[in-house]
Amino acid sequence: MGEEVKITKTIDVRGEICPYPDMKTMVALAKMAPGEILEVLIDYPLSLERIPRGLKKKKHKLLQTEQIDGPDYRLLIEAHGLK
Amino acid sequence: MTIVVLTGLLVGIAFGFVLQRGRFCMNSAFRDVVTLQDFTLLKSVGVALLVELIGFTALSMAGVITLNPKTFFWGANIVGGFVFGVGMVIAGGCASGITYRVGEGLAAAFTAVLGLAIGGYITAAGFLNPIAIGLQTSTKVVAGDGSNLTLANLFGIDHHAMALVIALIAVVAWAIYIRKNGNDEDNRDWSWMSTGVAIGLIGTIAFPLSAAAGRNYPLGVTAGWVANLKTILPGVEGSPGWLGWMVIGIVIGALIAAYSADELKLRIPPWKTLLKTFGGGCLMGFGAVTSGGCNIGHILSGVPQLAISSILGGIFIILGAWIAAYFLFIRPLKED
Repeated sequence: MGEEVKITKTIDVRGEICPYPDMKTMVALAKMAPGEILEVLIDYPLSLERIPRGLKKKKHKLLQTEQIDGPDYRLLIEAHGLK
Repeated sequence: MTIVVLTGLLVGIAFGFVLQRGRFCMNSAFRDVVTLQDFTLLKSVGVALLVELIGFTALSMAGVITLNPKTFFWGANIVGGFVFGVGMVIAGGCASGITYRVGEGLAAAFTAVLGLAIGGYITAAGFLNPIAIGLQTSTKVVAGDGSNLTLANLFGIDHHAMALVIALIAVVAWAIYIRKNGNDEDNRDWSWMSTGVAIGLIGTIAFPLSAAAGRNYPLGVTAGWVANLKTILPGVEGSPGWLGWMVIGIVIGALIAAYSADELKLRIPPWKTLLKTFGGGCLMGFGAVTSGGCNIGHILSGVPQLAISSILGGIFIILGAWIAAYFLFIRPLKED
């Protein structure tokens, strides 16, 4: 769907317990330059809902949320760049 | 099927369903405040407590239930609460949180529950029992007439009157908050408001149902798993009771909810994670039995009864969680 997005970095936090999916995502984003794209593979429903709230606060942009299979999801996030 | 089994299971299934759909976890609720500055789950907890405050008080005034605040032993409430709080951060969930996530298929939740049951059992009947008993007996304080301390009898005020006044203040504060912020940023199927209300209603109805089965208290979790463990351990006397069936119901209800939302999947993390959540669960079991309640027994069920033991225990659960969160998640990330 939409044009191809060039992914800068991928993290796979599937299988991680609370709150590691969130923490690892935010830490990875904090180290990325503005405009870089982070791909997150996640399977924890609570974090799937909570991460977008955290992204809004730090002004990162959630580009896409795609269900892979069951609770497995793929998030594409554009880093804001500011720590 | 006896009444004990049936109503316990049914309440548990309803509870588990809502927990899963609403992602209601007190560990996240308290920890998110300091790690992510996210108050969404905390608001759910607040709503649930308020609904139960009104519900328990109304049922008590109508003579349907007899309030039963837990015994106040400040040393045990403090130590047990604190250890429980630390344990739940390590385990990745509070007692109800790890229980419902078993139903979602998380192996890490299963090992956490195992730890909870074993840690709790060792404290209730094993080699850690003297510590718990020592703390409890040496710091126990009761009201003048021998009853357990509540905010009301502590100040010599009528219980129902005090509960209603607190509820009124809370409702007004809530209304002001909603008016100022709107039913904010809830992107989920089950908002913090509807989840909180549902939990509160389930908690309220649990009280008379559990009482009818011989257990005069609303929701709890840890004691249920300890009872289940005793039931299956050879050579140990035990039966699930209402609470044992209720926690089994939570798993079933969460499983149904997860299945219906296509969120059911067996997830097995690395063995180090399983070991960690088991350890966290053991701390939770010790903490809950020592303190007289876990996050559900004290915070969800005890605070709305204005029990001093639950208020103090609840405060230290939160403090333990915040301190553990600081060392596990905040400080390591600052060193970047």
